[in-house]
Amino acid sequence: MFGNQQYNIINSPLEQFEVTSLLGLNAPILGYLNISLTNLALYSLLVLFIIVSLHYMANNDTKLVPSKWSIALESVFASINSMVREQLGKELYLPFIYSLFFFILIANLTGNIPYSFTITTSIMVSIGLSFTILIAVTILGLSIHKLHFFSYFVPSGTPLALVPLLVLIELVSYLARAFSLGIRLFANMVAGHTLMKILATFLYQMFSGSLIVAVLTLIPFTLFLAIMGLELAVSFIQAYVFVILTCSYIKDAIELH
Amino acid sequence: MPQLIPFYFINQLSFSFLTLLALIYIISKYFLPLFTFQQVIRMYITKLNNK
Repeated sequence: MFGNQQYNIINSPLEQFEVTSLLGLNAPILGYLNISLTNLALYSLLVLFIIVSLHYMANNDTKLVPSKWSIALESVFASINSMVREQLGKELYLPFIYSLFFFILIANLTGNIPYSFTITTSIMVSIGLSFTILIAVTILGLSIHKLHFFSYFVPSGTPLALVPLLVLIELVSYLARAFSLGIRLFANMVAGHTLMKILATFLYQMFSGSLIVAVLTLIPFTLFLAIMGLELAVSFIQAYVFVILTCSYIKDAIELH
Repeated sequence: MPQLIPFYFINQLSFSFLTLLALIYIISKYFLPLFTFQQVIRMYITKLNNK
């Protein structure tokens, strides 16, 4: 009985998303101070370290002939730069968009390493990011257009009788962005990681059976490898989608439709 | 779902946002100017070649 319970707890596919304290400081000062280095904090620092070291390694010392690393980074820079220029018209927001892309991308990719933690599977991080972006975009729109910003909620050419209804619909759709942006990232990452954990558990049990079963398990194992490839693709796609939607929200705030 | 346990919510938010802020600062201060500088040098050389 006890053995079964322990077995279930260890193999829960959602266990990998648990935030646990690795190092803690509890002190009865300033009210009650509690600072913990959680696994999420460790991985976010790791993501920062990886991005900075990746850029440092790819630093070409302004040599004109680029290295392999700098070709990769320069092409990422060129594509994000052109995306920002096309959508927003100026490069003011490029550092934020570029950093956001790398933060989400490296966070997703480090999460694909077995037994690691993915920052973006935390609902607070992903929805916190999207909420912050929406609040910032609203403040940006208000500061540029002042009260005229609210014309965003009334599409041009709307009959007066329909205005109350349309304002309500537009307002709900505007506020839903705050959730949809974060939930899209969070749900994709959680679903992928849960699926991989469940499949890996099955495969482990089948591989540790008899020799014939283990050999036959190579067939579903190839499918599992394909799903791992899909997860890698999802890591890139989700980072790109998050960034491109952030760009279009900023564009909406600047241009008002 | 373990993500909905609110005990570490503030911790998660503060660490991820501090990391992102540090990342934006480091990238905009040290790395993005290098990319732009390199592009400018290449454009300048291309123009010199065309002349």
